[in-house]
Formats: sequence, C-alpha cells, structure tokens
Amino acid sequence: MEARTATELGWYVYGVVDAGAAAPQEGGVEGDVAVVAEGSVAALVSRVPLTVYGEEPVRARLEDPGWLEEKARAHEAVLEGALRAGPVVPFRFLTLYRDEDELRAFLAARGGELRDVLERIRGKVELGVKVFADRARLAAGLAQESDEVRELDAAIAAAAPGKAYLLRRRRDELAKEHAARVLRDCARASHGRLSAAAEAAVSNPPQPRELSGRDAQMLLNGAYLVPAGDAGFAAAVAGLEDEYRHLGVTFELTGPWPPYNFVPPGLSADEGRR
Amino acid sequence: MSARDLSGPTTGDVTPYRSGGPAQLADVLERVLDKGIVIAGDIQINLLDIELLTVRLRLLIASADKAREMGIDWWEGDPFLGRGGQRSLDERLKRLEAASGIESDDGGGDRDTGSE
Repeated sequence: MEARTATELGWYVYGVVDAGAAAPQEGGVEGDVAVVAEGSVAALVSRVPLTVYGEEPVRARLEDPGWLEEKARAHEAVLEGALRAGPVVPFRFLTLYRDEDELRAFLAARGGELRDVLERIRGKVELGVKVFADRARLAAGLAQESDEVRELDAAIAAAAPGKAYLLRRRRDELAKEHAARVLRDCARASHGRLSAAAEAAVSNPPQPRELSGRDAQMLLNGAYLVPAGDAGFAAAVAGLEDEYRHLGVTFELTGPWPPYNFVPPGLSADEGRR
Repeated sequence: MSARDLSGPTTGDVTPYRSGGPAQLADVLERVLDKGIVIAGDIQINLLDIELLTVRLRLLIASADKAREMGIDWWEGDPFLGRGGQRSLDERLKRLEAASGIESDDGGGDRDTGSE
C-alpha cells in the first residue's frame, strides 16, 4: 500500500440524495458535510484524513468503542438531517473514495439505479419495532391461561411430598413449553400485523442482550417502511400492546429512520433494473 | 405508549418517536454497520473481515450466524423459535416422565424424539 502524506484526504460518503438537495446542517464524522452532484443524484460527503480512515488505521479505531459510537452516531445524524429534506439512500458506515473523479464516475455509472431507489423511498420512513417478553410477568399470566397448568397446581396441592415434587417439575416444563409457544405466536402475529400496516417489512435477528443492554428477551426486531404521516402503523402498534399487555409483552417503537433496511445491499451495473 | 403523531405529508416533517434523548446505540449500530448500500469503493473496508475486540461489535456481527447455528432462524421468513428448541423441550419432558413413572399425554407409547 502506498505511503500516505499527513494531509491526504479521502471522500467519506454517507448516502445519496436528489441532486438539488442542500447539504445537511448536521456535522459529520469529520467536520462539515458537502454535496457532490452528478446528473440527477448527489452524494453527501465529508473529506476525511486517510491517516485515520484508511483501511489499515481504521481497524484500530474500530476497536475503540468511544470512537465507534461517536462516528456511527455522526453518520446517522447526517442521514437523519437529509431525511428531513427528502429521500436519502443510506450507505453503510465507512464507505470511502480516494478521489473526487472516482466518486463522480460512480455516480454517473450508477445514477439510474440510485434514482430508482430514491423514487421507491420518496416520502417514506423506516420505523423500528422491538418486542420484549418479561418472563416473570409471563409466568404469572400463564397460570391463568393454561388449564393444564392449573390442574397440575391443584394436583400438587393435594399430593404427598414425593409425588408433589415430580408433579411440580412437570408443571414447570409444561409452563415453559406453553410460554415458548405463546411467545412464538406473539412474535409471528406481531410481525404479520405490522407488515400488513406497512408497505414493506423486514424481520432482523434479535439483538443480543450484551449489545442491547436489556435483560428481557427480544421476541422480534422488525423494521417497517411506511409513508411519512401515516397513522395506521402507530395504531397497529397500540393495538398489539393492548392485546399482549396481560402477558407482560412490551413494544418499543423507534424512528423515523432513513430506510437502511429497504435499500438493496449492493448495486451492480450488471443486474440492471431491479 | 400512546399513538404517535406522524404529522406532515413529506419526510420533511416527521415527528420523532424517541421520547427525547438519543437513539439506543444498538439500534444505530445494527443499521449503520449492517444495512444500507455497500459499495466496492475505491477504498474498501470490509467490516466482517476485521478482528474487532469490542465485545459488543463481535456479538452484533456474530449473532445472526450464531443464532443460525443454534437452529434459530425465524427472522428469515417466519418469526418462529427454531425447531430444535421445541423438539428438545419435548424430549426433556418425555425423559422426565419416563424417569418418574408419570404417564405422558400421548398414552405413554412413543418415546421417540419429538413429532418431526
């Protein structure tokens, strides 16, 4: 890899917007955000030092949680700022070009596909819904819901100690099995109801506890594309909350987000129109 | 949570859902690191190839693969706790019943693994 001077700057790309869009006011990963327009589309960019953002040096930065959080949030802030003005096609974190000509050549070559994506997401936002189970509350709610569990409870109360012990273990197994089924049905039904209230839907892996910082089990980690100003989706969430509250299931609504989950993961000139 | 007001006909006027305060970092990271368009730019950084010491990041990137290994893949089409999970519960229950002499619901005849 060629040596870099201390002043060599790369072009960090946040995403793509309409060519006439103004640069967001929000600062980016390294200072101001500028617009590079080519044809009918434009890239939102910042000039960044390759001594920090180059492929080798950035690896060390990525292992610094503070640096990563600051830059990831800055990346998101720029895209949210853009979203307030019009559609924005988010790019993944750490997309860089070495020079402006390369960037412009990319925009010129892929402008048609980027234009298609912009039109598909114009006027729409991504909303996130995470569904959580509180197992203690669920256990309490299940005792009321399951005949089998209730009958076993009665048998346990009337049984001799040895038999009672064995019955209690069976009761706990049944309760766990019933709980798993209830939560599975809840996740499936929730995603189904929310998908029906949205134009597009994606179900992502649940966030691991260590990352989310939450003790509760995550049943669903959904992303939904809805028109900005749509009231039906919020109503669908409220309806689900009412339906599952007695089981200790909670719904967390986030957004509006730029449509990260609703743009193609990659662009290929060979694939043509999607 | 009360119904949120999504006022405004364009994306120019969206009401934030977050009740003040910044977005949760997990929600931001799973989007900026794992979603959006990936371009083979002039400088290519493939996050999956990078050894990340940060536990949180490793978990995020590994979680999908790890979950699949465990047979949990409900997000790929159907929100469903992996078949492995349900079957192993059935097996445990039947073993407990056999050990304690309790009759199982299916008449005690079938001690095989699960119904699938």
